[in-house]
Amino acid sequence: MEKITIKINGKDIEAVKDQSVLEVARENGFAIPALCFHPEIETRAGSCRVCLVEVSQNGRTRLVTSCNYPVRKGLEVRTDTDLVRRIRKGVVELLLSRTPDSPVIQKLARENGIEKSRFFVDEGEHYRNRCIACSLCTQVCEEVVGVSAISMLDRGRDKAPGTPYLKPSQVCIGCGACAYACPTDAISMIDEGEVRKIWGREFKMVTCSVCGKPYIPEAQVDWIVKTTGKDRSFFDKCPDHR
Amino acid sequence: MVNRKLQSVAALESYRAKIAESQKNEYPVIYVCGGTPCLAKGSSAVAEAFKKEIESQGLACKIELRHKVTGCQGFCSKGPVVSFGNDIVYLEVKPEHVPEIIEKTVKNGQVIESLGYKDPQTKKRSASFQGIPFYAHQKGMILKGLREIDPFEIDDYIARGGYASLAKAFSIDPDKIIDMITESGLRGRGGGGFPAGTKWRSCRAIDSEVRYVLCNGDEGDPGAFMDRSIMEGNPHAVIEGMIVGAWAVGAHHGYAYIRDEYPLAVKVMKKAVEDATAMGLLGKNILGTGFDFDIKITRGGGAFVCGESSALMRSIEGKVGEPRAKYIRSVEKGLYDLPTVLNNVETWANVPLIINNGPQWYRETGTEGSPGTKVFSLAGKAVNTGLVEVPMGTTIRELVEKVGGGIRSGRMFKAVQTGGPSGGCIPESLADLPIDFDSLSKAGSMMGSGGIIVMDEATCMVDVAKYFISFLAEESCGKCTPCRDGLPRMKQILTDITEGRGKEGDIELLEELCDVLSYGALCGLGSSAPNPVLSTIKYFREEYEAHIRDRRCPAGVCRNLVTFHIDADACTGCTLCAKQCPQACITGERKKAHVIDQSRCIKCGVCRDVCKFDAVRVE
Amino acid sequence: MGIDIRKIDEIIERYDKSEESLLAILQDFQHTFRYVPEEGMKRVSEVLGVPESKIYGVGTFYKALSLKPVGRHTCKVCTGTACHLKGAHTLTDIIGKELGVEPGGTTKDGRFTLQTVNCVGACALAPVVMVDDEDYYEGSSPQDVLKNLRKYK
Repeated sequence: MEKITIKINGKDIEAVKDQSVLEVARENGFAIPALCFHPEIETRAGSCRVCLVEVSQNGRTRLVTSCNYPVRKGLEVRTDTDLVRRIRKGVVELLLSRTPDSPVIQKLARENGIEKSRFFVDEGEHYRNRCIACSLCTQVCEEVVGVSAISMLDRGRDKAPGTPYLKPSQVCIGCGACAYACPTDAISMIDEGEVRKIWGREFKMVTCSVCGKPYIPEAQVDWIVKTTGKDRSFFDKCPDHR
Repeated sequence: MVNRKLQSVAALESYRAKIAESQKNEYPVIYVCGGTPCLAKGSSAVAEAFKKEIESQGLACKIELRHKVTGCQGFCSKGPVVSFGNDIVYLEVKPEHVPEIIEKTVKNGQVIESLGYKDPQTKKRSASFQGIPFYAHQKGMILKGLREIDPFEIDDYIARGGYASLAKAFSIDPDKIIDMITESGLRGRGGGGFPAGTKWRSCRAIDSEVRYVLCNGDEGDPGAFMDRSIMEGNPHAVIEGMIVGAWAVGAHHGYAYIRDEYPLAVKVMKKAVEDATAMGLLGKNILGTGFDFDIKITRGGGAFVCGESSALMRSIEGKVGEPRAKYIRSVEKGLYDLPTVLNNVETWANVPLIINNGPQWYRETGTEGSPGTKVFSLAGKAVNTGLVEVPMGTTIRELVEKVGGGIRSGRMFKAVQTGGPSGGCIPESLADLPIDFDSLSKAGSMMGSGGIIVMDEATCMVDVAKYFISFLAEESCGKCTPCRDGLPRMKQILTDITEGRGKEGDIELLEELCDVLSYGALCGLGSSAPNPVLSTIKYFREEYEAHIRDRRCPAGVCRNLVTFHIDADACTGCTLCAKQCPQACITGERKKAHVIDQSRCIKCGVCRDVCKFDAVRVE
Repeated sequence: MGIDIRKIDEIIERYDKSEESLLAILQDFQHTFRYVPEEGMKRVSEVLGVPESKIYGVGTFYKALSLKPVGRHTCKVCTGTACHLKGAHTLTDIIGKELGVEPGGTTKDGRFTLQTVNCVGACALAPVVMVDDEDYYEGSSPQDVLKNLRKYK
């Protein structure tokens, strides 16, 4: 771990080489908004473009996404220049015209001084509810859960996460990690009694032998037992009663 | 199969001498162009006719003849093109011309002027490369091979000095090879113009067991077909360049990524790789030097974004072709996250020339900052269109007026579009600009891969901007917000303007969106997408304003804003327009003025395009 | 629709068993079956060990691949810049009207699929129409193109 010093908004900051600008900045109290960033996900897709900052290195100044820009010696970062604000505002306005019904995006828009988008709003076949197509759900499913039940489908405006053949996935374990990770609460996961509905499939839940609460899908237990060798009886009780 | 593997550099040289000797006796050679446009215009029937005629006469005249199908000979608008290895070239050749050509030109060396080029101004005919302005103003460093080599015959390439640069390179230290490339000033022909030597050196400097050398043949710019023609016409030049590159950077595996829309290029390149492997020029222990290098051909999947380097690499890996942030460059982390050199087809084809002739020789052509030549596909409204090669620094005007022969139907030259969707439109007033990487960027366009689309007064610049933005919206991979959600919005604003719904403030709103894309998009596709819009606003703002304020399309293109009618005085009653009208809404007697039924006219403009008397008016 | 699983396996057999072969295999499916069948994607997933989600993602991303069967012949109208300037749009309308389909559609009798494609690099023929990736037609007089299309059965 090579320690280096960089500048953020004029202040000297110590950091570890190749850490992301976003993490270094946040650790040191500089606020940078971001949607598709998740600390557990190694693939920093940098797709939402909300975390843009201005960096100067080797005499070159440009806007970069802070979530995946590695800090190197001599880097100067500015998180709040006119250009950063202006371009971020444009990005957020586009997101608002894409997902006008998302409370997360609405709030972000207000914070960036946007009342209403000046552009047309996605509707009809292009209506994506709250999804900003950031692909975080598919990365969690692949990198953290390890099942790759969903992927990003199509391209351009039509890009959206989905299951193969748009049919219920045979490998999905119903863990809901995708829904938890989603920055805009766009993935529908409904727990009703002993059944969880997600991605068009129903999963039977395991009930805690102490409190009687259904808390984990059976398919997820099967997956954990299979991949970690953990004893099945471990899942008789929910985390609160173990 | 006989083992044809060449075991050493010396074996290559003696093999070359052998073929050259055997080919000597085969003259004269008839070169029939086998490029796509010529094929579409019937060149295979012409080649067939030659074959038959040669066979039927062969014994009688005792000349051993061989016809060849070559790659593109350039003059696509006048195909099929037939040439003879000397200075004679015939255009628009039909099978019925063949007996006369055999009789006069092949047997007796006579020139048939009537099959040559007819100058539209002077009406003079010429059947010599030097006498035809389209060819006379070119410099064929890269294209020379296309005109003479049968792309399916590796022997043909070897006989003309092929793989000599490879043999030479093996005797030079890899670092010195990179020095030569750096000194030559070779810049990547794929668009950005990045110095090739710098790229190679960075890749070599990375400590890694495995490195890759890639060839970008995913030529996706609409209106560009240089790389297609080079791959189809002289595949071994590309392969030789790649092997030299691999030797220089220390790579043992290479890939050529070729567009799915180019089936012939895929076929030719595959055959070339197989042949080179069979000869021991690819594979293990090349020419007995102990150096290993192989090339795999990957077909693209029909996605423009895969021309972007990081997307191309993902696509080779069998993944969705999405670009990724290149804060760590691909020379360091490219294909499979390993050090990778990616150059495009034309760049690789330049490499053997530099190695054979030296960097100083190479710098004699072109400009200080952009040495060498550039191959362009000249298309659009010029009189002569096709594949052309000129020294860097040639002005736009020279290219359009001398090589291109000016504008068709006597219309006014308005602008050229360069660089495809990432480039921009340069107005006629700047036509004296030299064509090199830096001047074009300064003018708000870019070199791109070399598509040059000539536009005349009947081209609407707002429509052109809308065309490119629609194209890009369709081709956006959808990964990042500015590109995915911004382009459809730009397209909508441009559509509104062209359909008569433009508003004050639309131009400014477009400019705002352009900034969001330029600064905010993830990859080059998105960040350069504004160029077609910004350059047309910059140079043709009044055209935007005419659409918005006066609901008028000055070029007469935007359907909602124009009406077509036939000028009774100019109409000769030839009935051509009535025959081609898809609505069958043009009526009139033969030899009398025709009339368009406005209630059924869909304003497609076919009548105007087919009219030989310029009698169809647009208002 | 019945797809011969042996044909699927034959195609997969041609390639190395690595993810790198995925796009090529799917393209061969496209050429052989005139689309990429679900059975094929399932099989590729098993053999290459690549998750189905990724294969389906690739299948939906690339334009050269179609998840629905296309016609016996494909008629591609080039919409490259030169073709655009010379009326590719109108040409598409006229061909669409003749065939009774919109771009992207397949005729009821399965004879033709009409597509608009990016530059095919034959700008000298603009506006150009390409049939079955082999035959190129100059489209400056649309009625001649229609005449040529009628040859395909």
